[in-house]
Amino acid sequence: MLPILLLFIPGMAWGFSDPNIQLPAEQIPMDGTEVMFLASIGIVFAGTMAAVLIAHDGISRDRASGVLEIRLSQPMPRWRQGIVLILGHWGSIAIPVALLLAVSMILIGYRSDMWIPMSDAIIYIIASMLVLLWYTVFALLASSIAKEQGSAIAFSIGLWFLFTLLWVLFTTLLAALNGVAVGDTQDQGYLVFEGRLDLLSPNGVYHHLLETRLEGVDRGVSALGAYVAAVLWTIVPLYFFQRRLNRLVP
Amino acid sequence: MAEDVAMRFTSIGYRHSISNPIWYNPLKKRKGPGISHVDLAISKGEIIGLVGTNGAGKTTLLRMISGILPLEEGKVTQNDGVLGSDALRSMVGFMPEQVRWSGQQTIRNTMTEFAHLRGCSIQSAIDILTVVGLKNRMDTTLDSLSQGMRQRLSLGVALLGTPNVLVLDEPFNGMDPVAVDAFKRLLQSLAVKGISIIISSHHLAELDHLVDTIALLHRGQLLAHGTTDSLQSSLGFEQMTEIIVDKRIKEPMLDSMNVLEYVETEQEHRYVIESGHHDLLEKLISNKYQIITWRVVPPTLIELLCAATGMDRESIGMNVEQSSMIPLRTLDGEEE
Repeated sequence: MLPILLLFIPGMAWGFSDPNIQLPAEQIPMDGTEVMFLASIGIVFAGTMAAVLIAHDGISRDRASGVLEIRLSQPMPRWRQGIVLILGHWGSIAIPVALLLAVSMILIGYRSDMWIPMSDAIIYIIASMLVLLWYTVFALLASSIAKEQGSAIAFSIGLWFLFTLLWVLFTTLLAALNGVAVGDTQDQGYLVFEGRLDLLSPNGVYHHLLETRLEGVDRGVSALGAYVAAVLWTIVPLYFFQRRLNRLVP
Repeated sequence: MAEDVAMRFTSIGYRHSISNPIWYNPLKKRKGPGISHVDLAISKGEIIGLVGTNGAGKTTLLRMISGILPLEEGKVTQNDGVLGSDALRSMVGFMPEQVRWSGQQTIRNTMTEFAHLRGCSIQSAIDILTVVGLKNRMDTTLDSLSQGMRQRLSLGVALLGTPNVLVLDEPFNGMDPVAVDAFKRLLQSLAVKGISIIISSHHLAELDHLVDTIALLHRGQLLAHGTTDSLQSSLGFEQMTEIIVDKRIKEPMLDSMNVLEYVETEQEHRYVIESGHHDLLEKLISNKYQIITWRVVPPTLIELLCAATGMDRESIGMNVEQSSMIPLRTLDGEEE
């Protein structure tokens, strides 16, 4: 997974920090934070995919081998076992991604001389860690339901596919049904509609969190709204995962 | 004596949820087979053999005893105090039927991981590896373990935290006869130290000289639990004696006896009669018979199981029951 992460995280930061970059709609990144925002697509595609791939059989593998029975027979309360599971899987993707993000920020500063303020860097890294956490929990939840590896990977990748690739289609379709001018991506009505619908997607909330550090972005969701959505996206899947773990049978 | 009871399960029950889809609710579940109203007292240092047909609920019961499955009904007590599921799990070590330990992790790391989960020291985990004979293989990766070694590792993990009760589900699966023998001796030495052991096995012959008591499980219900003698009397078994002599016993000597079995070979004559005819022994000696064998024959576990379930040998072997879905046949022959 490391080559993919290298390609998508520092690779994208390197590409977007090119002073002669030609972006659609003649967009020109004005500062390092904006470059990192553009490069966040690497987290959305590669980081979340890696999180899903690492965690997709976190429970189903143990179920298939019989080790799950032994784990469930241990006196450690299941909620603590659940936290250990999440931290173990999340940590194994979050730590390398955090390091690669730090490298990316240095690359951007070095290449374009646009150094990212510390506060923006911290928000960026926290938001990225959160989106990885959400996908890790989704994958573990799917893995706890799946009886074997095939279903586990199908559930997890299916969810990743929905939020990463199909969400645009879903958003556009709903916008069109609501009479929003979907042909014009700069239309304020469309942007607000898309922004609000993004609160229902982990990737959308991730971008809302990053946008709190950008100037002149208005997609109809306040910074507070983005933070509340992030808290909900953290608490609700965790609650369902713990509930599932308490009822888990081998 | 109450203080000899390591743990007591009173009227415990659990039903599996099974799929019961209907068009407007494809995820609908209903209660399926399981365990119903099982009472079981486990004495300190006792080895209990759990015997039952396929699908009788042995694994489900063992999982309940280990705290893996919740008790939907009933309770578990120790010294009159009710145990919660966390307390129960800390007192029971569980070895599942077959664990396919795999990966690049070493035995040492696996034991360390489970020692953390169990809340015991790493040194005690290493000591347990000596007990199960894996100390010299501590740095072997899980991928390179043989089936016998995997079973030993599972037993080692079950022994972490010095459990009061050890629950073993089909522990002899995949073991060669030498390993089985070593395993049995190990279990006996653990029982001597006061650890109670519940063991289920399809290898009934393996249980024959290992267990102190037998629990007969059928259709999710415990039909009987006790020593072979007590089960024999509760199931109405007649004591039988096997006699092997050098020549055929004269008819008048057997007049008042019920000969259950007679086999004649070139060298010997084998009789199985109902016990209690000690005068026959005197007659045989006085009539200069060479007595090759004179022994009381205990019923085999298969015979006990057949008697308890009302099934014949073939049905016991081939029928797969769905526990709790079929009415219970009690020892009195009534159906509930």
